[in-house]
Amino acid sequence: MEPGRGEHGLMTDRVVPSKTSRAVPYQRYVQNVAITVATVLLLVWTVFPFVWILLTSLKSPGDILSVPPTFTFVPTLDNYAALVMGEQRGQYSSTRPDFPLFFLNSMIISFGAVALSVAAGIPAAYALARFTFPFKNAIGFVLMSFRFVPFIAFVIPLYLLYQRLGLYNTHTGLIFAYQIITLPFTVWMLRSFFMEIPLEIQEAAQIDGCSWLGVLVRVILPLSLPGIAVTVILGFMFSWNAFNYPLMLAGRQTFPVTVGAIQFISYEQVLWGQMAAATIVAALPQLVLSLMVQKYIVRGLTMGAVK
Amino acid sequence: MHTKPKRGRRGAAAFLPYLLLAPALVLLLGMVYPFGLGLYYSFTSYWLQYPNRFRFVWLDNYIGLMEEPLFVRALEFTLGFTLVAVVIQVGLGLAVALFLHARIPGRAVLRALMLLPLMVPPVITALMWKIMMASTNAGILNYMLSFVGIDPVNWFGSTQGAIVSVLIIDTWGNLPFVALILLGGLQALPNEPYEAARVDGAGPITMLRYVTLPLLSPFIVLVLLFRTMDSLRIFDVIYATTLGGPNDATTNLQILAYQYSFQWYQMGKGMAQAIVLLLLVVLVSYLLMRLWNRAAESTA
Repeated sequence: MEPGRGEHGLMTDRVVPSKTSRAVPYQRYVQNVAITVATVLLLVWTVFPFVWILLTSLKSPGDILSVPPTFTFVPTLDNYAALVMGEQRGQYSSTRPDFPLFFLNSMIISFGAVALSVAAGIPAAYALARFTFPFKNAIGFVLMSFRFVPFIAFVIPLYLLYQRLGLYNTHTGLIFAYQIITLPFTVWMLRSFFMEIPLEIQEAAQIDGCSWLGVLVRVILPLSLPGIAVTVILGFMFSWNAFNYPLMLAGRQTFPVTVGAIQFISYEQVLWGQMAAATIVAALPQLVLSLMVQKYIVRGLTMGAVK
Repeated sequence: MHTKPKRGRRGAAAFLPYLLLAPALVLLLGMVYPFGLGLYYSFTSYWLQYPNRFRFVWLDNYIGLMEEPLFVRALEFTLGFTLVAVVIQVGLGLAVALFLHARIPGRAVLRALMLLPLMVPPVITALMWKIMMASTNAGILNYMLSFVGIDPVNWFGSTQGAIVSVLIIDTWGNLPFVALILLGGLQALPNEPYEAARVDGAGPITMLRYVTLPLLSPFIVLVLLFRTMDSLRIFDVIYATTLGGPNDATTNLQILAYQYSFQWYQMGKGMAQAIVLLLLVVLVSYLLMRLWNRAAESTA
């Protein structure tokens, strides 16, 4: 890699030629050892939990409780089978047959929340990116300010309202509640993508007789398609992550996987193997999706504040 | 408008942005309304099980909080946890960012792998660690620690153990975020100051202290802002591991407000705690944003 902008020599192998040049081989040796140790530490810290949970999810109850913990065992898919079918060959208490339902709930709620946010967010972001009008900054600020409110301040009144309106324990109710997470995010992200489209292109289209709708449909949307895709994927991931809103506003029939996964604790015993399998299943869509949006994750997490 | 509205349609054009915003604003109203309702409840004695005791009590809930030992402890824990978590996470995150910025073998792979914990739902992260932190001898973490001569830790059963556990889990999940933003900052730094410092014979430590850190400060303040906001409100990890225990050792304001409203059904008091937490988040964020403006100005 040739040194470019930002490729400065901090902690690199570019050793300053000076009177200490005789110490260089020794220095290099120490440096290499340090780099190796740091690499191994970082790898173990990051990757080992995934490896261990994967191993745990493939163990039988006996292997899970073995002292000391074992790395060699006969792998079994019983825990995953238990998630789907609800029984584990009579080895110990039969459990949740409803995990597939939780997975489906997560899909429905996350897709619904993102679809609603994008449908409402595209025109809103277009207005905020391309028009000037009174209260524009105020509206943008109110949208952004939702990022500051602790969820409990929303969930207490929502819980009371939903009981009254019959929205408690419904997909619709959850999709609306999730707008607190996805809508401000979607509007700010789309706005930042729309603003990247050069004004000249839009002006050219207007000279050709495009109305505001034509500009949106023929210029803004096609040119920001990758940005919209990124916003959809990240919004989906944030919805999938949500735990606290459904914990209070959902019930047995509408729990998403995040709430479903903690159900393995509240029994007389913790079903470690099944819990491990459930965490793998709950995290998998995220890990796959994240590969697609790696470059945009920072932007997503800071709502477009950092690119 | 960047476009000059055609004559005669000026009136309609002025409404256009609001028309475009309408769907989002309707949804927004759907959020503002419950929030306003909750704010109102925080001034009432709303107790779900005793509906006829409902009345407007002005600031009683807020004043009562100060005399509530549980609330004072939760406030202390919220602030203390945030301070420690943010210092550890930003410190370690900076180290990781510097490491991954240096030209080391396998850098691209490391950068990609490092991101993984960020992608796991926080409550799932908590459950993963809960499995590893089993305090029996079958717990892998205790087993690994036994090799460096550390006795089995009662992770979630003791007060200190529970606090350390929550810290570790929160750090595992959020270190990638800090490292990622700071790494982005490092990659955007200009080259010239380093060349100048090198000509002056500055060593790596001097460069870090007098060139990198000052130039990086807007990014550092930014991660401080995001991490502080989220640490003040941490819920998922605590709920899934300790539920605020043992002995309320890990009860922060969000957990306490949850307990008041969803275990004891005292919605009025729970809401008052939620509002205090909100004010705390806003105050801290405001201070950090002012710092950010100053940092951004000084490096611009």
